[in-house]
Amino acid sequence: MNAMFPTLAAILAVAITSPAFAADGAQLFVDKGCTACHGEDANTSLEPGYPRLAGQNADYMFNQMKDIKDGKRANGLAPDTMKPILEEVTEAEMRALADYVSGLTNPAMAAKPADGPGKKLYATKTCIACHGKDGKKPIMKTYPYLAGQDKLYAFNQMKDIKTGARTNGNTNAMKTVMHLVSDQELEAIAEYLSQAK
Amino acid sequence: MKLSSLSISVIALSAAFATAAIAAGVKDKPKQGKSIGESGYEWNAGGGEQDEALHLKPDLVNGRDVYEVCAACHLPEGWGQTDGTFPQLAGQHPKVIIKQLADIRALNRDNPTMYPFALPDQIGGPQAIADVAGYIQKLKMNPEPGMGDGKDLEHGKKLYKENCAQCHGEHGQGDNDKFYPRLEGQHYNYLMRQYQWIKEGKRRNANPDMVKQIQWMTERDTKAVLDYVSRIKPPADKIGQKGWKNPDFQ
Repeated sequence: MNAMFPTLAAILAVAITSPAFAADGAQLFVDKGCTACHGEDANTSLEPGYPRLAGQNADYMFNQMKDIKDGKRANGLAPDTMKPILEEVTEAEMRALADYVSGLTNPAMAAKPADGPGKKLYATKTCIACHGKDGKKPIMKTYPYLAGQDKLYAFNQMKDIKTGARTNGNTNAMKTVMHLVSDQELEAIAEYLSQAK
Repeated sequence: MKLSSLSISVIALSAAFATAAIAAGVKDKPKQGKSIGESGYEWNAGGGEQDEALHLKPDLVNGRDVYEVCAACHLPEGWGQTDGTFPQLAGQHPKVIIKQLADIRALNRDNPTMYPFALPDQIGGPQAIADVAGYIQKLKMNPEPGMGDGKDLEHGKKLYKENCAQCHGEHGQGDNDKFYPRLEGQHYNYLMRQYQWIKEGKRRNANPDMVKQIQWMTERDTKAVLDYVSRIKPPADKIGQKGWKNPDFQ
C-alpha cells in the first residue's frame, strides 16, 4: 500500500489535469450556445453590437462572465442575452471557456492598424496607456485587447462606462478619463479599432 | 483501505487546484494600508520601498525610460492636462513623487487609473522610482496651467498666507525634505479635486494636520485659495517656454 500510494497519486494528478477530466472549453463553447452569438471562431458577431472574443485575455473574459452572472455587469445586452445562459455555467466552466477562447486567433493582432481620426484620438485621449499600441497590448491581464473589436460593441461599452451604465471590474480606472472624449470622438475611436482586421 | 486513500488524495488534489485558482485571481495585490481616520494611521509612516528609493542615487537616463509610461497621461513634458484630469508633475520634489508612487502601489492612496502603471512590472523596483523622480524634478514647468475664474484672488491670497504658507511655503514651493508638495502652478481643477478628497478623508494618505486645518473653509474660501495657488508663477529657472516639446520623446 505504501509503495502503491505515490503511483496512484501520480495517475490521479495526470487524470485531473488532462483535458478529458477537466472541463473542455471547446466543447463547452458549443454546448453552452456561445457559438450562436459569437460565432464558431469566437470572432464572428451575430450582429453589430456583439463582441468578438477570439484571443481576448482569459482573466478579463472570466471576470466578465462572472460579473454578468452576478449582475455586476448589467449594461447593454448582457442582462437579457448572456445572463440567462450563464446561470447554467459554473465558475470552473467559465474558466475553461475563457482559457479556450483566449487561445483562439484574433486575426486583427497581425493586421495593419487603420488610419483615420480615431488613430490620433486613441493616443491623445490616453486609451493607449492601458490598452497598448493599436489596442494590442493591454497592460494588465484583466484589461481587454481592443484590436479588431466589433465597432458598435466597442462604442457602446465606451459610452456605457462614460455614463456609468457599466460599472463592473476595472471600469473605474477608465471612467476618470471618459469626460475627455465626446460621443463623436468615441465613434471615431471605435471605427479605428474595428478596422484592424 | 485502498479506496479511502484514493478518495483522500482526490479531495486533496481538488483542494489544491481550487486554491490555486483563487490565488491566481488576487495575486499582485498588496494589502491595503491604514486609512486616515483609522486607529494606528500614521502619516508618512515610510518603510519598505519608499525608504529604499529615498536612499538611492537617481539614474536620469533610466528615469527617462521609466517616464515613458507616465508620459501617456502626464504628457512627455510632465505638464498634465489643463482641465486637471492629470496633474502637472514637472518640477515636483523627488521625495513627494517617491512617497506618492510608493503609496499608490502599496494601495495607501486610491488611484485605480494609475495603479497598474505604478506596479513593479510596469516601472521596476525602488531604483526605478528614484530614477523617475529625479527625471521629473528636472522637467521645466507648464507656463500656462489651468486656473480658476480669477475673481476672488485677494481673498485667496490672504487665506493662503494665513493657512497654507507655513507648510507649503511663501510661494507654494513646498518642501522636499518634509514631503510637502510644490503647489505653485498646479492645475486648478486638480487642486480642487485633491483638496476635496483630503477634506472628506477620501484621500487615504492625507496629512491629518492638513485635514484638520481646512475643515472650516467654505466653498468660496476653497475656490479663492486654490485659484490663487494655481496662478503663482514658479521661479524663472523652473518654468518652461510656451509650446516647449520634450526632446527626449520626439
